[in-house]
Amino acid sequence: MVEGSRWRRWVSFYIPLTAFMVVLLFPFYWMIITSVRPDKELYRPWNAKNYNPFWTWNPTLEHIRMLLEETMFMTWLWNTMLIALASTIISLICGVFAGYALSRLRFRFAGMLGTGIFITYLVPQTLLFIPLADIIRDFHIGDTPWSLILTYPTFLIPFSTWLMMGYFKAIPKELEECARIDGATRWQAMIWIILPVAIPGILSAGIFAFTLSWNEFIYALVFLSSSEQKTVPVGIVSELVRGDVFFWGSLMAGALLGSIPVAVVYSFFVEHYVAGVTGSVKG
Amino acid sequence: MSRIARRRLMQAAGLSAAGGLTGILASGQAPAYAQSTTVHWLKWNDFVPAADELLRKKLIPEAEKQLGIKITLETINANDLQARTTAGIQSKSGPDLIMAFNSNAQLYADSLADVSELCEAIGPAQGGYYQIAQGNSNDGKRWISVPYCIIGAEVAYRKSWFKQAGWDQFPKTWDEYRAAGKKLKAAGHPLGQTLGHTFGDAPTFAYPMMWSFGGKEVEADGKTVAVNSKETIESVKFMTAFWKDAFDEGGLAWDDTSNNRAMLSGTISATLNGASIYIETLRKPDTYRTEDDKPMKEDILHGRLPAGPGGQYAFHSAQSTMVMGYSKNQKAAIDFLRWFHTEGNYRQWFEIQKGFSCGPAAMWEKDKMWDIDPVMEPYRDAAKYGRVPGFAGRANQKAAEALTKYIIVDMYAKAVQGMPAEDSVKWAEGELKKIYAA
Amino acid sequence: MSQAMATMGRPHRKAGVLEDERWFASALLFPTAVLLGLFIAYPFVEGIWLSLTNSRVGVPGHFVGLANFDKVWNDSIFRTAVWNTCWYTFITTVLKLVLGLWLAQLLNRNFKGKAWVRAFVLLPFIIPTVLSTFAWKWMFDPTFSVLNWMLFQLGFITTRINWLGEPGLAFASIVIVNVWRGLPFYAISLLAGLQTISPELQEAAAIDGANGWQRFRHITWPLLLPVTMVVTLFSVIQTFADFQLVYVLTGGGPANATHLFATYAYQIGIGTGLLSEGAAISLAIFPVLFVVVLTQLLYIRRVETR
Repeated sequence: MVEGSRWRRWVSFYIPLTAFMVVLLFPFYWMIITSVRPDKELYRPWNAKNYNPFWTWNPTLEHIRMLLEETMFMTWLWNTMLIALASTIISLICGVFAGYALSRLRFRFAGMLGTGIFITYLVPQTLLFIPLADIIRDFHIGDTPWSLILTYPTFLIPFSTWLMMGYFKAIPKELEECARIDGATRWQAMIWIILPVAIPGILSAGIFAFTLSWNEFIYALVFLSSSEQKTVPVGIVSELVRGDVFFWGSLMAGALLGSIPVAVVYSFFVEHYVAGVTGSVKG
Repeated sequence: MSRIARRRLMQAAGLSAAGGLTGILASGQAPAYAQSTTVHWLKWNDFVPAADELLRKKLIPEAEKQLGIKITLETINANDLQARTTAGIQSKSGPDLIMAFNSNAQLYADSLADVSELCEAIGPAQGGYYQIAQGNSNDGKRWISVPYCIIGAEVAYRKSWFKQAGWDQFPKTWDEYRAAGKKLKAAGHPLGQTLGHTFGDAPTFAYPMMWSFGGKEVEADGKTVAVNSKETIESVKFMTAFWKDAFDEGGLAWDDTSNNRAMLSGTISATLNGASIYIETLRKPDTYRTEDDKPMKEDILHGRLPAGPGGQYAFHSAQSTMVMGYSKNQKAAIDFLRWFHTEGNYRQWFEIQKGFSCGPAAMWEKDKMWDIDPVMEPYRDAAKYGRVPGFAGRANQKAAEALTKYIIVDMYAKAVQGMPAEDSVKWAEGELKKIYAA
Repeated sequence: MSQAMATMGRPHRKAGVLEDERWFASALLFPTAVLLGLFIAYPFVEGIWLSLTNSRVGVPGHFVGLANFDKVWNDSIFRTAVWNTCWYTFITTVLKLVLGLWLAQLLNRNFKGKAWVRAFVLLPFIIPTVLSTFAWKWMFDPTFSVLNWMLFQLGFITTRINWLGEPGLAFASIVIVNVWRGLPFYAISLLAGLQTISPELQEAAAIDGANGWQRFRHITWPLLLPVTMVVTLFSVIQTFADFQLVYVLTGGGPANATHLFATYAYQIGIGTGLLSEGAAISLAIFPVLFVVVLTQLLYIRRVETR
C-alpha cells in the first residue's frame, strides 16, 4: 500500500508517522526515565549545566521498590481490575439487552427511551456525586467495591446501549425471524442467533467500558476510604502526593504499572475493537 | 461479599487485640465503650511523613489501648479533603474526625459537633490559643473544631546569595526586599512565589501583602467590603513592579510543591514557605547541594515576611480537627482528641515535626525542641504574628468563601499579568461584594 | 448454527409472557431502568432541586427559584468558564479530528510492525487521565520542563516558555494534553471506518483519474462520515465535561484563565461549600451540551437513514 517514489514515501508516510509516534509516546518514555532516575538528578532545573533529561547513568529501583513495598499498590491494582471488570460486565449485560430492545423490538416510547438513556450520559459527574453519596450510605455499600461497581454503570450503560443499538440495527431482521419460525422463543432467538453475530460490537463496547472504569477518579475518591479498598488512580494520588512534596519517581512508576493491565487487554483486542466500532455504525 | 465479611472479621480481631483484655490490663480500667466503637480519622498526608508514621506505629496504638477504642487513620492528598468532607456531611456518614485547613471549618460550622468544652480545657492549660487558632476554630459563639497545629510561613532564603547581594540579614521592609530581589534576579537567582490557585502558599503571601500596606477585605463589622482602598491599590502596584524586578515569572503556575522544588534545585534564592524545604535538605544532605557542592542545609536561613507601611503581618496556615455532627462516636472521638492533645502525647508528635508545625497555643513556644536548631528559630513564635482571612472582620464563612475562591490571590495575579492595579482591585471588590451581600 | 438450533429444543407452540414484544422489551430494559433510575435519575432530580435552593454544605436551605442561575449568570468567572469550555471543546475537537484522520490514514497502510504501532498508539488513551496529567504537569513544570529543554536545545527558544503560568499558554497546555489523550481514540476508530471502505473503490476512482484529494473528498469522507460523527459525539460530551485534566494541571488558574464548567462547579460546590450554586453551574452545561448533542444525533440519524 505504501506507494510512490522513495522520497515521496518518506515525506508522506514515514516522517509523519514517526512524528505522531514520538509525540504520542514521549510522555511514556519520560515516565519510564523518571521512575528510575535517582532523586538527585530529578531535582535539576531545565537549564542546568550537564542536564541530560533523556538518560541516566545511575538508574535506581528505589522508586519502584517504594511503590510496591510502602504503598498497597498491588492491592489497588487488584481492586481496580475487579471493579472495572464487574462494572463492565454489568454494563454490557444491560447495554446489550437495552440495545436489543430499542433497536429490534417495536413498542411505544422506544425512541423516547433511547434518547432518554443517551441523555443520562450528559449529566455531569460533578453534579451527581454528592446526591449519590446519599444512596451509597442508604445501601451501606460505602467503602466497598460495590459502591463503584454499581455506580460506574451509570456512565457505561448509556454509551454501550447506544453502540449496541447501532450494531444490532445492521443485522438483518430475517435472521431471528427464521429462528422463530423454527420454534425458538424470542429469548432464544436473541441469545443464540443475534448475540453471536454481535460479538465484535460487544467486545468493543466492553473494551471502551473497561477503559472508562479504569480511569474514573471522583466517585472512587469520594466513596472509598480505606487504603486497602482504593483504586489505582486514587491510591496513587492520595498516597504519593504528600503535602508539598511529590514522590515523582514512584508516582510515574505507579502510572506506568497501573496502565499495563489495560494495555494488555487492548493489545489482545485492538483488532476486534476496530471491527466492532465499524459494525456499530455501518447501518 | 466474602471480601467484606473478611474485612469485618479482621477488624473485629484487631479490635479485641488492641482494646480488649490487654487494653484493660494496661490502663487499669475497663473501657467505657462497646467493643465496636471505631473512630475514623481523616486527615491529609502530613508534610512531614515521619509524623504520620509516628501516629500509625506509636500514638494510635497507645490511644487504642488506653481508651479502649479502635482508631482508623486515613490520610489523603490535601486537595481532596474538601470533597470528602462535603460528601460526608451531605450523606451524613463518613469519618468521625476530619482535618480542616485554615478557616474551612467555618464553611461547615452547622454540621460540626460542639467542642467548646474540650477547647476551653486545652487552650488555657497550654498558655492560651493563638489568635489564628481561635479565629479559625471558633465561630464567635462556640468552638467548632479543635486547633491541631499552625504551620508557620517564613521566607526560606539562601544565605550566601543574599550575602553576595549585600544583605547579611534578611530585609526588614518590602522596599529593602525588593531592592535585594532585584539584585538577586539580575544575578540569576530570582525570588520565588506562587500566585496560582493553590491552597497553601498563594494566600499566605497575598493576604499579608495586602495587610502590610494597610489594606483589608472588610471593615470590622464583617459586612462592608473595604478592599477598594488606596492602600490596597498601592500594594497591588508595588507587587506588580516587585514581580517584574525580582520574581521568577514561572510562579503564576506554581502549586504548593513547585517552590520547594525550585528552591531545592537552586533556581530561586528565596521563597515563602513552611519549613519543609529546610527539613528536606536536612533529611537528604547528599541529594541537595549548593553549586559549590556543599550540603544545601548549611546555606538556608529563615526570615519573616517584611513590613510595609501598614505593619508586618503573616498568614499562617492553621490545621484543626472537626468532630463531625453526624458521627455516632462523638464522645469517643472527643476523648481521643483530648488524649492526643495531652501535653505528653502531643509533645511526641510536636517534636517529630521539627518545627514545621507550631503548637496551637503559646506554651509550645517554650518547648526545648526549638533550642535544637537555630535555623528554625524564626518559626518558634511565628504564630503570634498571624492574622486570619476576613480581616478586619472575623474568619467566618464569608471569608472562607473569599479565600477558597482565591479572590485576593487573583487580584494580585491579574495585576501581575498586566491588568491596571485599579481595575484588578475593583474586580476583587465586585467579587467580594457578591460574597458578603449574599 | 445447527448446534444453536439443537439447544433450542423441539419446535413447539410459543407461549409465555416474554413472547409478547412489549413485555419482552420491558424485561430487557428492566436492569437498565433500575440502575439508571436509582443512580442517575434520582440524584439528577436531587441535583436540580439543589440548584433551586440556597443550600450550603450541611444546611438544607429553602426554595429560591432561579436565583442561583441569575447569580451565576452575572458572575464574571462563570462567563469566563463558559467561554473557555466552548472554545476548549471546539479547538480540541477540530484538532483531534484532523490529526486523527491523518493518523488513521497513515495506519491504514500496509507496513512492517503495523500491529505493534496500532497497539502503541492507543497508550495515551488507556493510561488513567489523572496519572498521565501528572506526567504532563511534570513536563510543563516551569523549573524542570523537559519541553523547554528540548526547544532550547533545538534552538527554537532562548528563554523558557512559561507553560502553565501565562493565561494563553496555560490554555494551550490543557488543549495539548487533551488532544494528546484523545487523538488515539479518534485515530483507531476512524481507522476502523477506513477499513470498511473497499480498496477497489479507491482503485476504480484512481483509474478514472481522480487525484488523492478528490478521492478523499468524494469517496473516503462520505463513507467515513457516520463513524466520524459517532466518535465526535462521544468526544464532545467527554471534553465538555472534562474535569480531571484541568483539576490536576492548573486548578483553573492562573487567575481563572483555564476554568471549565466542571472545575468551576467543583470549586464553588466543594471548595466553597455553596452546593446550590455549584449545582446550578453544573446544570448550566446541560442545555448547551443538549443542543450540541441533539444536532449531532439528528445529523447522524439523517446520515444513517440515507
